[in-house]
Amino acid sequence: MEFFVYHDYMMFTKSIIYILMGLFVVGFWGIWAFMTSRDEEIHKMPEHHKE
Amino acid sequence: MSTESNKSLFTPVNIITGIFLAIGLVITVLRFTKGLGYVTNLDDNNPWGVWISFDLLCGVALAAGGYTTSSACYIFGLKKYHSAVRPAILTAFLGYALVVFALHYDVGRPYRLPYPIFVQPGTTSLLFEVGLCVFLYVTVLAIEFSPAVFEWLGMKSLRNKIHKLTLALTVFGVILSTLHQSSLGALYIAVPSKIHPLWYSPYLAILFFVSSIPAGLSMVIFEGTLAHKPWHHMMDKTHLDEHEGVILGFARGASIALAAYFAVKLVALAADNNWHYLATGWGAWYLVEVLGFVALPSLLYAIGSREKNIKLIKWTAALTVFGIILNRFNVSMVAFNYQLPSSQRYFPSWMEIGISIFVVTLGVTIYRFIVSRMPIFFEHPEYKDAH
Repeated sequence: MEFFVYHDYMMFTKSIIYILMGLFVVGFWGIWAFMTSRDEEIHKMPEHHKE
Repeated sequence: MSTESNKSLFTPVNIITGIFLAIGLVITVLRFTKGLGYVTNLDDNNPWGVWISFDLLCGVALAAGGYTTSSACYIFGLKKYHSAVRPAILTAFLGYALVVFALHYDVGRPYRLPYPIFVQPGTTSLLFEVGLCVFLYVTVLAIEFSPAVFEWLGMKSLRNKIHKLTLALTVFGVILSTLHQSSLGALYIAVPSKIHPLWYSPYLAILFFVSSIPAGLSMVIFEGTLAHKPWHHMMDKTHLDEHEGVILGFARGASIALAAYFAVKLVALAADNNWHYLATGWGAWYLVEVLGFVALPSLLYAIGSREKNIKLIKWTAALTVFGIILNRFNVSMVAFNYQLPSSQRYFPSWMEIGISIFVVTLGVTIYRFIVSRMPIFFEHPEYKDAH
């Protein structure tokens, strides 16, 4: 992509960063949910089924 | 000394250690008598070589386990990681002490070490900031580690006085680490035309700091894994019971920290609009680093933590440590002066590599001496639960 003024360049790069930040929020939530999902399963288990 | 102890001194490990130390001492004499030109491949284009890349940049990043572990335990109150604090502080202290030691080989004239701090402080220089922080942090780590020495020597009163400073020292340590971990990256902001655009970024300071967190956490897991077999007999029940919890908890932290590091890497790429470089040979190497040694370990840590797979986490820790070393090498050596013809590119001489091996061997030898004697993997009987 070609840029003629600095404003265009900033608009382009910043817009991509904003999209990336949105993806990161969802991604971080996904990683955390994935990592802790087994913990919740253990918490929900009846006491005698826990390790 | 008995015959038996004489025999035990000449183990294969000790003999290899002795050979490395002897070679290192010879190169040390050559360095300080014949100068940098005799032992290194450094020149005007490449004034910083493998001693800076490995001994300093990797040494500081991998010693980050000290501030991450102590802040988890004392600031965030996660006392279940207490047994990991002393080994981490010891590794950090040795790491930083050896960084200062190794820096003498580059800088020369060791008797002038106090000059940048006390005689001619260059307060406008990033190097001054790094020097000041490292000087202060080595002091902080020495004080943080000293209770173990005093417990070993039976100096109860002094040990108890210093133990009261723990929280203040931890807070001070976190501040200093934040400052100099990022400043080491900031040093390379000064050379935008020399580093390949994929590794150069105005975010280098943030990248170095953020990457030091998973580096430190992974190093604690990695070092704990290596230490577990030879010093198993030195570990008390608390240490052994908490070991698995430390690994699982640190894996979780490292996974999130690596994900954050990956995010900042992508933001840095997007901010400079460097996407088109990804289709080049340099881009392929960049993707190996970012996908293979940042994104992949983050995912593996998450899987290992979820499945409680300790073996997977331990291998991932090694992968992460290697990835951080690769990143520091890429920024300071591989992608540095990338525009020069290959005849003018830097590759370390065997003597430079010899000194780096010497420094690591020296660290391992001191580590072995300390953990075999002092209360590092066990709580001293007189101070049980005194934290």
